[in-house]
Parts: sequence; C-alpha cells; structure tokens
Amino acid sequence: MKPARFEYIPPTTLEAAVAALAAANGEGKILAGGQSLLPLLNFRMARPAVLVDLNGMKELSFIELRGENVAIGALTRHREIEHSPLIASRLPVMSAAIRHVAHLAIRNRGTIGGSLSHADPAAELPMMAMFYGASLTVQGPAGRRTIAAKDFFVDALTNCLEPEDIVVEIEFPILQHDGWAFEEVARRFGDFALASIAVSIRRGQFGVGEARVAVMGVADTPLRLEHVEQRLCEIAVDGRTPDRFAEMVTSSVSPNSDVHASAEYRKHLLGELAKRAMQTVLAVKG
Amino acid sequence: MSKDSLAQPADVLRPRHVGAPIKRTEDPRLLTGNGEYTADRKPDRPLHIAFRRSEQPHARIVRIDTAAAQTAPGVVAVLTAEDVADDFKPVIPFSRMANYYATPTLPLASGKVRYVGEAIVAVIATSRYLAEDAVELIEIEFEPLGAVSRSETAVAVDAPLLHEEAGTNVLIAREFRKGDVEADLKGAAVRVGGRFEMTRKAPLAMEPRSYTAEYDARRGAITLYTSSNIPGIVRDAISESLGLPGSRLRVVAPDVGGSFGSKGSLYPEELLICIAARKLGRSLKWTADRLEDVSSSSQAFAEIVDAEMGFDANGIAIALQADVLGDVGAYSIYPWTCGLEPVQVVSFLPGPYKIRSYRGAVRGVATCKPPTGPYRGVGRPISTFVTERLMDLGAKALGLDPIEIRRRNLVRAGEFPYRIASGIIWDKTGFVECLDAAGEAAGYEKLRVRQAEARKDGRLFGIGIASYAELTGIGSRIAVAPGMPINTGSETAKISIDSTGAITAAFGVASHGQGLETTLAQIIADDLGASFEDIRVIQGDSDAVPMSTGTYASRSAVLGGGAAKRASALLRDKIKRVASYLLEANHDDIELSGGKATVIGTDRAVTFRQVAKAVYSDMKTLPAEAREELSASYTYDPINGTTAAATHIVAVEVDPATCFVKIHKYVVAEDCGQIINPMIVDGQVHGGVAQGIGAALFEELVYDEDAQLLSASLVDYMIPSAPDIPDMDVVHIESQSAVAGGFRGMGEGGTIGAPAAIANAIADALSPYDIDVNLLPMNPQRIFGLIEQAKLKAKENPK
Ligand SMILES: Cc1cc2nc3c(=O)[nH]c(=O)nc-3n(C[C@H](O)[C@H](O)[C@H](O)COP(=O)(O)OP(=O)(O)OC[C@H]3O[C@@H](n4cnc5c(N)ncnc54)[C@H](O)[C@@H]3O)c2cc1C
Repeated sequence: MKPARFEYIPPTTLEAAVAALAAANGEGKILAGGQSLLPLLNFRMARPAVLVDLNGMKELSFIELRGENVAIGALTRHREIEHSPLIASRLPVMSAAIRHVAHLAIRNRGTIGGSLSHADPAAELPMMAMFYGASLTVQGPAGRRTIAAKDFFVDALTNCLEPEDIVVEIEFPILQHDGWAFEEVARRFGDFALASIAVSIRRGQFGVGEARVAVMGVADTPLRLEHVEQRLCEIAVDGRTPDRFAEMVTSSVSPNSDVHASAEYRKHLLGELAKRAMQTVLAVKG
Repeated sequence: MSKDSLAQPADVLRPRHVGAPIKRTEDPRLLTGNGEYTADRKPDRPLHIAFRRSEQPHARIVRIDTAAAQTAPGVVAVLTAEDVADDFKPVIPFSRMANYYATPTLPLASGKVRYVGEAIVAVIATSRYLAEDAVELIEIEFEPLGAVSRSETAVAVDAPLLHEEAGTNVLIAREFRKGDVEADLKGAAVRVGGRFEMTRKAPLAMEPRSYTAEYDARRGAITLYTSSNIPGIVRDAISESLGLPGSRLRVVAPDVGGSFGSKGSLYPEELLICIAARKLGRSLKWTADRLEDVSSSSQAFAEIVDAEMGFDANGIAIALQADVLGDVGAYSIYPWTCGLEPVQVVSFLPGPYKIRSYRGAVRGVATCKPPTGPYRGVGRPISTFVTERLMDLGAKALGLDPIEIRRRNLVRAGEFPYRIASGIIWDKTGFVECLDAAGEAAGYEKLRVRQAEARKDGRLFGIGIASYAELTGIGSRIAVAPGMPINTGSETAKISIDSTGAITAAFGVASHGQGLETTLAQIIADDLGASFEDIRVIQGDSDAVPMSTGTYASRSAVLGGGAAKRASALLRDKIKRVASYLLEANHDDIELSGGKATVIGTDRAVTFRQVAKAVYSDMKTLPAEAREELSASYTYDPINGTTAAATHIVAVEVDPATCFVKIHKYVVAEDCGQIINPMIVDGQVHGGVAQGIGAALFEELVYDEDAQLLSASLVDYMIPSAPDIPDMDVVHIESQSAVAGGFRGMGEGGTIGAPAAIANAIADALSPYDIDVNLLPMNPQRIFGLIEQAKLKAKENPK
C-alpha cells in the first residue's frame, strides 16, 4: 500500500501554487492536512502526478471577525476551530459540530479547506458550510472568485472546483438565534456520522420566526432543508412540534444503504435526532 | 502448634514470585519503541516483495503476462506458480479424520484462484514502492468459474466446486452421538431451539503478518524471521517443503505484535519468501499492509448452527442436538486443518453441563474466502453462544431464573472428572463456584431490581449470563486439532547458568503478547531459588530453544510452566551438589533462595555466581567429577491437560432511539487455577472480553454475493474502541488444577464468554418485544431491524 510516484512541490505563494497546478495539466492535487488524501494515495485511488503542498503558507491559517461574518483561512486546522473563542461565541453550532470530527491526532492536522474540498457526505464542516450559508473564496489562474456553499458541493466526494483552483478562505455569516442544537450519531467516538442534524430558530411573534435546518449522512452531499425551515415558520409551536418536525425532516431525505447502515435505519436515526434537536431548541427561552 | 511452624522456614521467609503482580519485564522495551519486530530487521541490501493478488473470487488463470513488470525500474524478479514449481513440495494439512479432504498449501495460486486476495504473482524489487508499481503492470486473463459466497449455497448440488479433486465442497464432515437424543427430546417437558449464526471475523492483530528471509551465502542457509506464534511448526514445514535441513534453516519469531490466531498457521507467503531467497540468493522482506492482512490472514467463526435442547420439568437439560455448517473458506489451513474451528463447535456444545444425550453433526464447506483458522477461543465462542442462548430460552419457557437453571445443570464439585456427552472430560474446576461468585460480584439480585425499575420507565435494560468451560494446556492424550499428527502434547524448558551466574531459560513456547517472559521467569525464580532479575527467558529462535509447536490453545503457562518447574528442580539439585562441596554441608541442609545457597539456620552461603565460578572457571575448588555443567532440561507432558471455566454476567441497555447497546456492568468470575501473575491474568481477561465485545456488537467481515469483501479497511471493519469497553470486575476462583503448579490456561476465555453473555443480555433487554437474538454481531442496524419487525408483528396480531 504505497502511493504511485508523484512530484512534490512546496510553493510559498498562492500564485506559485496556482501556477504549479496549472502546469500539471489536470494531474495536480493540493496537499493540506493529508488526512483524507494520503489514504487515497496509498490505496492508489488517487494518483496525481504532482502534489502541491500548501503547508508552507501560514497566511492561509487564521480565524477572524469580518463585519457580520467570521472568516476562516483554508489551512486552519480543526483543532484551532475547536479551541477558538471567536467561533465558540459567534458560530456556536460549528463549535459543537467540530468536536465530532475524527480524533485528536486527525484534528491536529486536518484543515477546513481540505475538509470542504474533500466533500465527504458525512463530514461536519461541509454540513456547517451549508447550515451557515458560507461562501468560499477560490483562487484560480484568472484570479479570485466567490462560490456559495450550495453550489460548491456537487456530489459525494465531488466539488465544483477546476483542477487548478485553490480554496483560500471561507466566510461564515453569523446567525442570530434564540435556540440551536447539533445532534449526531456515529458508530464509535470520532467516526463519520451515520446521521446528523443542525437546527437553529429565532422566535417570531407567533411560534418560529426564522429557522435553519441542515442534515448530513443521509444524501450524497450535506443538505440544507429550506422547505422544512419555511414550514416550521408556518406551524404552531406546541408539544407535538418535535414529532412533526422529525416527520418533515425524514420525509425530505432518501438515504442510501451501505455496510454501516440501511436506508431505513439512517432515516430512523435522523428522525430521532431531529426530534431531540427540536426539543432542545424549543426548551431554550427566547 | 500454629500452622506456620509446621512449614519449612524457607517457605515462610522466601518471597514468592508466583502469585505476585510483577510488572511485565518485556514492557519497557515494547513501550519505548525498543522492541524488535520482524519488519525491524535490517539485512544486507534486502529486496522487497509485493504480491499481485486475485480480484476474482473463483477463476481459472488462463494467462499471466509479466513482461512489462520484469523490465520495470528496480525489479529483480517476477515469480509465478510456474516459475517456482520445482522449488518446493506442497505442504499438506494431514489428518486421520474420516470424511476430510486436505487441500495443499502452495506459495502462489496455481491453475486457479479461489478467493479475492489470494496471491498469484510475487514481484521482487529494490523497494516496496517499485515492487507495487510493477505489480500494476501484470496482466492476468481469468476465466470466471462462479463465486461460492455462502456455506448454504456451497452445499447445493449444482454449486461450482472449489477443489474438483475433492468431488464436493464439503471438506470435512463429522458426527458425535451419545444416548438416544430423539427419544429424550420427545419425552422432554420443554423443547427450545433455533438457528444461530456467528458471522466471519478478522483476528486483527496490531502488527500485520511480516516475514524477513535473510540469506547467508556462505552456508547457503536461510534465517526466516516471522511474526508467527508457531515458529517451530513453520520451521519443520518449510524444511520439509524446501528440502532444507534445520542446520540451514533457522526460524525466529522475534517480538510479535499480537496474533489472536492469525499468525498461528503456515502461510503461502512464508513459503514463497524462503523459496525466493534461495532462488535469488538474496535477503527478502515482506510485511502485509492492512488490506492484505484483513483479506488474506486466517479468519474466524462463520458458522450457522441449528440447535435444539430438551429439558425435563425440573429444568434439567436432558438432550441436545445440533447441526453445524461451517464456512471454512477456500483452503484447509496447515497444520490445524479446516476441521479445527467447526469440529470444536460440536465438541464443546454440551459445555459445562450434564446433558444426557447428544447428537452434534458438523460440515465444513469450502467457499471463496480466505481460510478460517485458529482464533482466540476456537469453536467455543459460538458453541457457548448457542448453548447459553438455549439455556436462557429454557429458563424462560420453564419460568426459572437464568442463574438457577445453570446451577441445576452444571457439573458439581463431587462429580469431576466428568465426561460430557460429546466425550470431553472436565477435570476438577469451580463451575458452580464461578457462577455463584459472578452472581455475588454483580449484585445479581439488585441488578434484577434495577431492571424492574428501568422497565417501568420503558427502558430496555437486560442482564445476560454465560457459563462455559474449556480445555487448556492439553497433553499428549488429546490432539489439539482432530486427527492431526503433530505433537502438541509436550513442551521443553532448558535452563542453564553461565560462568557469570546469569540464568538463561530457553522455551520453545513463543510469546506474542502474553507476557511469558515474565510469568515463566516468576516460576523459575521460585522453583530454582533464583533472583528474578538474573533470569533471562528466550523464546522463538530455532537455533536457541528446544523444539516446540508454539503458543496456542491456552497451553503455554501449563506446558511451559510445568516444564519450567521440572527443569528448575533438576537444576536445583545440581546447584545444591556444588554448594554442599563449597559450604561443606549436607545436600539436604542447603536451601536455595534469591540466587544464594544457604546452609539452613546459618549465615553460611554462596551465591549462584560463586557456584558458577567454581564449576566453570576454577580447576582447584571442585573435583573434576563435580564440575557438571549447570544446565537442565525437561520435557513436560500434562497428558490430559486441564480445564478452565468462568461465568460472565453483563448488564446492558438498548437505546431505542439509536439502537446502540450500552454496557452498564461487566463481571467475570473465572477459575484459572493457581495464578502466576494476577496483573497479567486480569489483562488477559480484559483483552479477551474486549474482543468478545467486538464479536458481539461490532466486527464483521462482510462478503457480498460475488464473494467480494466489503469491509476490508478499518473504516468498514469496525472494532471496538476504548470508549466502547466498560470497566470490568474480575473475580478469581483459584482452585488448583491437577497439572504441575496447579495452573490452568486462561488467555482465551474472555472471548469465549463475552459474545454469549452479551447476546443473552440483549435478548433480555428486548424481551418486551419478544425478540430472539440468534445472530452476532448484534449491531445497531440489526437491532433496529428486529425491533421494527417485532412492532410490525405486534400490529398484525394485536394481543
Ligand atoms: C480516521 C479518520 C476519521 C475521520 N473522521 C472524520 C469525521 O468524523 N468527520 C470529518 O469531517 N472528517 C473526518 N475525517 C477527515 C478529516 O477531517 C480530514 O482532515 C479532512 O476531511 C480533510 O482535510 P485535510 O486538510 O486533511 O485534507 P487533505 O487530505 O490534504 O486533502 C483532501 C482533499 O482536498 C483537497 N484540498 C485540500 N485543501 C484544499 C484547498 N485549500 N483547496 C482545494 N482543494 C483542497 C486535496 O487535494 C484533496 O483532494 C477523518 C479522517 C480520518 C483519517
């Protein structure tokens, strides 16, 4: 289980990195934390001719408040997000979600840019990008552009980038909420999720005024359930709301079966998590 | 007169090592990265092997084109079965069993492939990277012959045959019978039964299989370093196969990072690496990557058991019958044969119970999967699962408590030795004592109260019990694997004191994590009167230790320990003889302790070092005839061996939302006889139970209908992680066994008891739904399916 031969380039500027990728003619790959890429290389499921290592570019590693947004550099490690007071206070759902990402050793190396680009359908950060409606700044041969999270995730393990594009930073809009919850079930501590849901609400004059709902592990990409958000604002809030919410959520997904979980079981889990999440959200006084 | 004054003063004063929680002497080197595993060997300019393995489950090999690989950078040789055909004799896993077909072990697939992952071509290159590059250039044309992926389909009349010469896929068939089962079942007050299954499991040692063949051109000799727990068997088999005498074939098992059975058989790669080393006159290295280890090392369980048990009105189990279908994989493994696992299931099904009549039939059938082989517990994890489920079903039908029904059926103190219905003889062991001690340690009555309260709150809380017995340390009267001609009945210890007074104890029994370096030294320290620190235990090197079949079947403490005691006694006599010269005292007045010979009741003493000096380095002190080499060896055979037993009690809760199982309490009461080192015993129980939890809740090698492995990586093959393993209470019933030292084997028991106990606990937790647990692992998705089914059934037939 050894990778096929590749050329290793450690550029020190973004321009040089983009140029190196462009020169590789579609045969180049970015190396960030390596936690997803290296296993793929070792299995020879990925066999890039050129590996462009971003790790020398410390300027890609930051977490900062930028107006109504929190901006995070692509090379920021999971561990830094986990321990950031700024994230804890401004993006509390993300702060809760990041604790479910893998194990300490992996969080020390894995990066947000790598996690989003890898686009695992059961990964927490892509789900958070959907939940918060994040936008990704991408540098390519023609300069910088911005891509909305909902356009970024195309399919399981597939994003919308061109081979010479590099995710540079991600902006997460700060959400106002009166209550939020993040729920996840993984088979073992640190495993990829079997199902997960994130919910937040603002109370309105009658019941829910605004809602956010995102799920993962139950489709080829993480999903934001906008029609469920809308329905939530239309129904009365009472003791039956968690159950009704669970029903709304499960009826809007159709997961696949695999060795870890059948489609029915995943759906069941998602429903249980949705119920639990809504109970938590509503218990919080606005 | 107090009791103590009757004892020898030495017995009172001497610090005892046996029974003491001494820290493992091997740990400092292993924990600081100073161990030496096979892959750590650095022979002169070694070459590296990568295998092209089959992606076909069952196919004829039509053509192999290695031309491009031969000329790839760094490649020194590319070998197929044809290229090595004249370099070895096939190794046959012979057995005297009737109805058994022995498939030969070959270094590379020849003519056809029989499972995905089987090695077909070996590429030998200057680095593993280049070897793997060249593997990709090999082209093989296959003619598919039809996958046989399940044992039920393998026995169908029209199933493709894996070994045409055998004329059937049934490689082994056997039946045990005692009494009139049919009549007893007919007369039974209560009959319970079901179809039980344990799926395939990987032993999954931390260190994957690894081999280094070091070629010595001066002597045309090979030293094979192998991550094996049977280096002696490997040496003899390869010697025979390659026609290399032992003087030119040394086999060494250095530090070995776990086995659990997966390193306890001869492997094709072990043969190939020696063949290639001799052919090329070069040293070679190969270490399995995790994918190779999971998909080509021997696997475990894979049995379906249709079983039925009959009870009389008093809850006495009177009859048991079972039909076992074992999916043994593509080959019969050397030396144990494919009978090892499934035949032991029928041997052990009656368990520790006095069941009057029995019929147990077994078939081991070939499928397109890696061979099954020894795995911690062999046969008994599933036999215990089945029998203990039947006991609980019986208790339920009769309205008896699960502890009570076991108490009524266990062999009791006065009844040993007891021959159970399958013919196995249990020697005196604390069966009932374990049951009672486990019940007490678990606070069984209180647990039931807690359960009743939990049920009131609608919680799914369950309690599970499993009692079992196993044969350990068996001697020459019983073959470890049925009908197998290898001597598994004795072990030799060779203990010597060198001219510096240091003690070297050489054992054939190998160590792959059990702590034998420590426990064997503890025994010698006591029995020789040596200082523990002066003793070095060496193992696993055919040039340095006596011939041995290795460590397996919970034998090494009993056989190695017995040999250590007897060899110590012989050497002790020699030391005393010299000391009596030196101290001018009577032989009988000398006692040995702490590395010193002392005249009892005086302060006159000589150290072992002085004794050694007098024997080896000094011409004056001793007459020539008294200068006997300070060395002794003894071959110990426990003849029948001994029994070990335990009861496990576990309390679990099933979360109806996630269908996850949480273990609230885990208690083991076990009888391993005289404990040598309680820390090591506890560690073995903890590790064994952890593996049993894996078997009960997590681990499964999933093969699809095309016999492709779907769980080949550790992402998909789930093992329990630390948070999944609960704290355990371990209670020891130290009843002395009949063998030397009173020891019993105990390394496998945890894995035997845990799956059954957990299965019973889950069934108990799910009893509000009236759900039977008859398949392991009970993972959340299966529990979900069972609950859904039960709900549906309840809806269809409302009470
Ligand atoms: C045992 C294990 C368990 C795990 N469990 C979880 C889990 O529970 N949840 C979870 O979310 N993740 C989990 N992970 C994945 C982990 O979070 C990874 O760190 C993450 O998915 C990838 O980040 P990375 O920085 O390591 O990326 P890399 O492995 O370096 O790269 C991944 C991919 O992204 C591309 N890439 C990287 N950076 C950029 C960029 N800036 N622009 C464009 N493309 C880029 C690479 O070319 C590559 O294709 C687990 C990993 C392991 C090994």
